[in-house]
Formats: sequence, structure tokens, C-alpha cells
Amino acid sequence: MIRTELKRGTAELAILSVLERQPLHGYEISRRIEQDSAGALRFTLAALYPLLYRMENRGWVRGEWGTSDNGRRRRCYKLLPRGRKMLAPLRAEWADLFRAMRRVAKVNHA
Amino acid sequence: MLDWLAYVNHRLSRLPLSEAESLQVREELAAHLEDTHLSPRAQGLSESEAVRLTCDQVSSWQELRRDILSAKLEGFMQNRVSRLWIPGLVTLFSAYVLLALMQFAGLRAMSSHPGEPRGIVLYLPWILSLPLIGAIGAYLSRRAQATGWRVYLAVSFPALVLGAFFLLLFPLALLIDPQVSLPIKATALAAATVNWVILPGFALCLGVALQSLLKMRVPRS
Repeated sequence: MIRTELKRGTAELAILSVLERQPLHGYEISRRIEQDSAGALRFTLAALYPLLYRMENRGWVRGEWGTSDNGRRRRCYKLLPRGRKMLAPLRAEWADLFRAMRRVAKVNHA
Repeated sequence: MLDWLAYVNHRLSRLPLSEAESLQVREELAAHLEDTHLSPRAQGLSESEAVRLTCDQVSSWQELRRDILSAKLEGFMQNRVSRLWIPGLVTLFSAYVLLALMQFAGLRAMSSHPGEPRGIVLYLPWILSLPLIGAIGAYLSRRAQATGWRVYLAVSFPALVLGAFFLLLFPLALLIDPQVSLPIKATALAAATVNWVILPGFALCLGVALQSLLKMRVPRS
């Protein structure tokens, strides 16, 4: 249970964070997260889309069809105000978690 | 190159969503697979290796199908509650609590045939206040991103509830009181429908237009 919640929380924060910078389509979201985390976080299609649809239903993001730079039809996700509002508490939760883990497990930043 | 849309159609053939939504999901997944496939090809990997890496994106299509449906259903339920049920119940509760308060304060109905069940009974101040309640319902429904007929459905909920009640009551009335003739019962039902369904429903729906008007006049900050 905790593992699932933890994984979902990581994924949500990662997605919202990359969309905070600019609207992206699904593949770009997974690539951007992989690049920014130096390969530590990888989203397969199977992990990404159910989460994006859930976030869309909650009004955090909105997907709209458009044409990508290479002329292909892609569904681009944009961060909505409700999603932007979620970023601060999610970041605070993760900061708390890291502080707690540092104290408990003596985990330090690299 | 593989036709990724055909591949996804084959794997996710029976998604129990609307035709448009199902197609949108399948096209989006196919687009993702297409991009995933192009990346290793651009890095010089062989076609078969690129296809293998792309197919590895989904270990179980059955599981993906279940996860997508669960996400979509969660949204469907949330949307239905916030766009329809909450505004509908707020409208219903507000309308009838207001009527009860007005009656408690001494409001009497205007009747075209006093003492008879077949006349038009009008609680004029109540009817006049219904557009305001309808506007509140419309605001709540639209705030949850409802559009079109769904807003009208949510707002006219009190009238629909009574309409359904009368429809159920009429066959019962035919059975339980055989002395009263059918035309009298039918006239009484028609009058009740006008008094409690059509007039309040119309007044509540005026509230939808009122809310649209207010929305246009008050610019977003």
C-alpha cells in the first residue's frame, strides 16, 4: 500500500513539475522526466497514461490534440491552476519525507 | 514500419468507453509507441530491436486496460457527482426549504379554483425566487465544468423529482380511489404537473440564463 502510494506520489510530482515549465505530450513527458532524473525515473506507457487520465479527471492537467514540431498529431498536456496549486503541498510532503529518511536511515544527498 | 494504431487496436480492442473516447485513447497510445519506436531507430538500432524495445513499454495489456478504465471511471463518477448530483441536491434542498420558510412566514398560494385540486396554485414569491436558486445551481454545475444540457438537468432536478413522483402516483391514484372519475384525476394530475413541475422547472432554468448573464458581466479577476 505504502509502496503504491509512494510510487504514485513520485509520479504525480514528477509529471506536474515538468508540465510546470511547458505543455508536453505523453512521450515528451516521459523523456523529460528520464533526462531530468538522469535516468533514475523512467515511465513506461503503461505507467504514464492511467496516471495522466486520473490527473486530467481531477482537473490538474488538460490534454488537447495539436500538431507537434515534427508535424505529427499529438495530445499535449497543459498544467491547470488546480494542478499548479498541488505542486507546493506535494513538494513540501516530499521534503518532509527526505528529512525523515535522513534522520532515520542516515540517507544523505549525493 | 509497424502500424502502431493497428497494433493498439488489436491489443485494446474492446475498451468500454464512448466511441470517441476509446479512439482518442488508442490514438494517443499509438502515438506514444510511434515516438518510442523512432528513438532507438534514430540511435542506430535495428528495426527488430526497436520494435522489441517499443513493445516492452507494456508488459500486460490486460493490466493497462484495467488501469485506464479505472482512471476513466474514477473521473466519470467524480464528474457525475460534482456536475449533476451536488448542484441538483443543493437546488432541491434550497427550493423546498425556502418554500417551507415562506409558508411558515404566512405565505398563501394564489389559486385559480380555490378548494379544488384542478386549479393553478401559484406561490408567486417562491416562483420568483427560483431563478436565483437556479443560478446558484448553474454556478455549481458549471464550476465543475459541466456544459449544455447537463447544467439544465442539474438545475431542474427539483422539478424532475416531483415529475417522477407524480408519474408514479397517478397509476396508484387510479387504483385507490375508484369513486373519483378518471377525468377529474387526470385534470388534477395535469394541474399538479403545471404547478410543481413545469412552472418551477421553467423558473429554475431561467436561472441558468441568469447565471450566464452574470458570468458575462463580471469579468474574471
